Amino acid sequence: MTAVVDLLLTRYNYVAVVLLLGIGVYMIGASENLVKKVIGMNVFQTGIFLFFMTSAFVTGGHVPIIKEGVERYVSPLPHVLILTAIVVGVSLTAVALALIVRIYAEYGTLQEDVLREIQTDE
Amino acid sequence: MAEVASLRPLAAVLVSALAIVPILLARDRPNVREGITMVAALAKFGIVASMVPGVLAGEVYVTRLGTLATGIEATLRADTLGLLFGLLASFLWIVTSLYSVGYMRGLDEHGQTRYFASFAASLAAAVGVAFASNLLTLFVFYELLTVATYPLVTHDETDEARAAGRKYLAYTFGGGVAVLAGSVLVFWLTGTTAFAPGGIEGLANADPVYARTAFVLLAGGFGVKAALMPVHSWLPDAMVAPTPVSGLLHAVAVVKSGVFGIARVVLDVFGPETVGDLGMGLPLAVVAAITLLTASLIALRKDNLKRRLAYSTVSQLSYIVLGLALLGDEALVGGLLHIPAHAFMKLTLFFCAGAIHVETHTDDISNMAGIGARMPLTMAAFGVASLGMAGIPLVAGFVSKWYLLIGALDVGAAVFAVALLISGVLNVAYFWPVVYQAFFETPDDHDRKPLVSGPMGGRFAGAGAVPDGGKGEAGADGPDPVEADAAAEAGGPDAGTVGRPATDETTDGTAAGDERTGTADRAEQSDDHADEHAHHGGPPAGGWESRNWLGAESTWFMLGPILTAMAGSLALGIAPRLFVFLRIVQEIVAGLAGVAG
Amino acid sequence: MSESYAVLLVAVPILGSIVPLAGSLWHDRLGWPVAVGVSLAHLALAAGLAVEVFAAGTVVYELGGFEPPFGIVLVVDGISALVALLVGVVSAGVLAYARRAGPRGNSFYSLYLLLLAGLSGMTVTGDAFNLYVFLEITGLAAYALVATGDHGGAAVAALKYLIIGTVGASLYLLGVGYAFVATGTLNMADLAEKLAAVGYTSPLVLASFALVTVGFAVKVALFPLHTWQPDAYAEAPISVSVLISALVSTVAAYALARLVLSVYTVEFFAAVPTARTMLVGAAAISVVAGSVLAVSQTDIQRMLAYSSVSQFGLIVAAVGIANRAALVGAVVHLVGHAVMKGGLFATAGVVERTTGARSVDEYAGLAERAPLAAGCFAVLALAMVGVPPAVGFVGKWYIVVGAVEAQRWAVAAVLVVSTLLTLAYFARLVERMYFTEPAVDVGEPAGGVPTVPDGGRSVSTGMVAVVVAATVLAATLGFAASGIEALLEPTLAALGVI
Repeated sequence: MTAVVDLLLTRYNYVAVVLLLGIGVYMIGASENLVKKVIGMNVFQTGIFLFFMTSAFVTGGHVPIIKEGVERYVSPLPHVLILTAIVVGVSLTAVALALIVRIYAEYGTLQEDVLREIQTDE
Repeated sequence: MAEVASLRPLAAVLVSALAIVPILLARDRPNVREGITMVAALAKFGIVASMVPGVLAGEVYVTRLGTLATGIEATLRADTLGLLFGLLASFLWIVTSLYSVGYMRGLDEHGQTRYFASFAASLAAAVGVAFASNLLTLFVFYELLTVATYPLVTHDETDEARAAGRKYLAYTFGGGVAVLAGSVLVFWLTGTTAFAPGGIEGLANADPVYARTAFVLLAGGFGVKAALMPVHSWLPDAMVAPTPVSGLLHAVAVVKSGVFGIARVVLDVFGPETVGDLGMGLPLAVVAAITLLTASLIALRKDNLKRRLAYSTVSQLSYIVLGLALLGDEALVGGLLHIPAHAFMKLTLFFCAGAIHVETHTDDISNMAGIGARMPLTMAAFGVASLGMAGIPLVAGFVSKWYLLIGALDVGAAVFAVALLISGVLNVAYFWPVVYQAFFETPDDHDRKPLVSGPMGGRFAGAGAVPDGGKGEAGADGPDPVEADAAAEAGGPDAGTVGRPATDETTDGTAAGDERTGTADRAEQSDDHADEHAHHGGPPAGGWESRNWLGAESTWFMLGPILTAMAGSLALGIAPRLFVFLRIVQEIVAGLAGVAG
Repeated sequence: MSESYAVLLVAVPILGSIVPLAGSLWHDRLGWPVAVGVSLAHLALAAGLAVEVFAAGTVVYELGGFEPPFGIVLVVDGISALVALLVGVVSAGVLAYARRAGPRGNSFYSLYLLLLAGLSGMTVTGDAFNLYVFLEITGLAAYALVATGDHGGAAVAALKYLIIGTVGASLYLLGVGYAFVATGTLNMADLAEKLAAVGYTSPLVLASFALVTVGFAVKVALFPLHTWQPDAYAEAPISVSVLISALVSTVAAYALARLVLSVYTVEFFAAVPTARTMLVGAAAISVVAGSVLAVSQTDIQRMLAYSSVSQFGLIVAAVGIANRAALVGAVVHLVGHAVMKGGLFATAGVVERTTGARSVDEYAGLAERAPLAAGCFAVLALAMVGVPPAVGFVGKWYIVVGAVEAQRWAVAAVLVVSTLLTLAYFARLVERMYFTEPAVDVGEPAGGVPTVPDGGRSVSTGMVAVVVAATVLAATLGFAASGIEALLEPTLAALGVI
């Protein structure tokens, strides 16, 4: 029990990462709605972003701008990486949404099961 | 052995490969197309034959083509063993090309351009197999041979032909896979795959488990094309191909490439000594002996002439394998000499079957009584060749079988000698009736020949009205799962063949012309077969007309090749030493370092 | 000078990709000529790079002058030079094909150049995170390209591809994160050293390996992570199918090999044999499952897609075996498969435009109606089956030799038998094309001929040339294998491969 409490108190970031990843995968897999799938994809990626952010954290570390008398800085590299990854994620979401718009225009539905039915009927 | 760099081995392969292009281009002009085939065939034989004196004098012609993969060279090398196969295939191609012209035009077949192109490709691959200098190069041509012959098997474009083609591809590619695996093992064990007379050095000292596995894979893989049981059943099915294909490819080039592969494996990869040390000679010999006896028995019950010949081929190929597996000098000579001997004789037989088909549309032996009057020369040639098959002196088969017998006794394996003798008797049993009834009986008056007609192992009650199903012969050899399988796979056509003898029973003593009307009672077992042949086959209403002995029976396009092949088998039998093949074979055996016995 | 070839290889197509879109303001037929110019420049750069690498060894370019391990480096060794050349040749070929086959419009060519940039980037990068970025650029371009199909299904297939592909790439990113946490670096060469220092059996390293391989297994489309592939290949316009079937999975498989060899290294496999066994096992399952699924398909393009699942199983198995022969085999088969599969799709496109046939049954009697295409298809199919001396056989030979040398008998058996599995789905097509009468009224496909905006059923010389060139290459490239082996020698030695 104490181990769990300990984990929650000191490693809550990682717990959040796991939760976000889990929720994301679940939404992608279980939701029939295409938009929700894309949201799930975003949640999944957010989990990964948080993981990188957490890895940059240094106890007692300062913002990575060189200053007199400061010895410890948090690592700036993951921030830069994730900035890039967020850009990639946004582009992906944009393309995904564009595709969804087209699918809706073509089939008039966003439900995957309905879509499958229509496609088999064709 | 002096190696001579020469382009001749490559030229021998390329001449027919390059002929494909003009053959395809000349598709609208049959005479030009067949002319090209003939020129290519003659050129090919000329090139191969030009190497004979040199090779007999101890030279080896080598064409190096660079590296193929993992440092293995793509090299063509005309040594004695390769020359034996190359010479045989290229000579018989000339004969077969002529015959093909007569056969294909006689039947007005479709797709003749594809036929001649595939034939040329097959020959290029076959000679490549002969001259390959290592396992990998051999495998390349071996697989190309499969691909090139596939269109010939499927030539008819009927369901039956397609099924046979599928089976052919599945079996031979399956064998190819085993050869590939075996080659990789040999390469891994020794770092080379190059053939060396007497065996690759490293194999004798390799881990025996891996060496045995490699041997089984290689012998088993090549055994598919050599139609060893139980992987023989593609061959009878492949008889749907036009007869020249059955003749040259399924009695000479393709099946012999399998036998040739086994010869390479035994002689030049492992070496007879290593094979003996590994204890692999005896199992191979047993498989061969079983195959040659079982196939002869099965041949007895085939009424379709080409199928009977196919099983005869299965049986005769195993003579060769047996000769190789006994590992003694004399047996090797016998086995290798049987390669050309069987080729000439079996080609004669197939050509005869084809001539009968073209002229009279008769395929079943039970309809051939008295056909000697209609086709005297053809049936005479058939008679000579079948004498040779049975091992009667003065025909080619005698010489090789004599060596085989001596060889079997020589290595103290009397049991195999007995098997050879029994098989000889069976040969007589399934060939003689064909010849006898052709000349000495008439369609109206012929008795039933010893044809085993009930399914082996009996038939379930009520499955069909086969009057003689319970006869002793059927029970004698007991249940035979292999044949049962083969029959089941072959489906309709085979069932039809089995059903045929019942026909004789019902039509005995009635006018032969009525034969086609009495089909009702066996319709359920040979429906499609009956449909297929309803319009032809069998003697005409008044019995066979009589034609003279001067070639009135057919065209010389067909008679010429038949007589040439027959003359070849006689020449091999009467003067084996004058004929070059025995000398080549003796060179091969003499060239092996350290043959046991 | 020659170092900058590496960066230009990526920069030229990226900058080029802007031109057609921007140019649309003035001219809507700008795409093709721009793409041709850029593509040829790219090809020249790739060729120059290859010459340089094979003459003088590995080329390293430090982006912006930042020293490694802090800056991003581009590293081109023998393997990447070959793959870059392959990308250049195949994409140039696709242009010749796409001019008539479509899709048309400037946006297609922009996406095409973007894809080219992404693939080139994946090939030359020496940085793990940079690889992720290029992976996503490739992915984005590929998703959009699939969606250019004018059927609604194309958008659905593209979305499926996008979601699964993104999850795969994200898993890779997560794997990189674990490696980063373990070592604090992203430079591949630096990672290799520091991972060894951390210890290969550390949970962080193991987790990162697992995530990276699973991520790339999605991109390579190994069974059972292949589900995006058949839809994408079948619904995309044929030129796009040619492009992505020949290159996208290929470069992903290359990247997986790169990571296995340059980041985790052969020693990792020696220390953690389970990792190797699982990778090779998954690949072997993919070989079998892909073939079985391919046999059950009726649509040609889907069948070819499942065939890719099977063939990439061979390649990944070779990467897992990771000895000299297997890796040479992997590279040869990577190149060979790209040529053969691209060629098969290209031929399928020609067949569809000339006869409307796109299912296995409709191919009946094709040899009569489209003799050249049928001939090319048959040759390519046989090459894929592994009939020697075609390239499909040579690659397989090397891989099998590698498997036997590593004494992985089960895998060796699967690899050898894969010949028969491939035969199972191609032989029936060859049989139908040559030995079967066409079924009734296949002359006109139902609902008229689909595809291309200006309705052309015509086949251009360029399309035929691409098909014939692919066929000739497939048949003859096998003879280059020994040369490739010699060229790769120094690279493999440097990677510590025995």
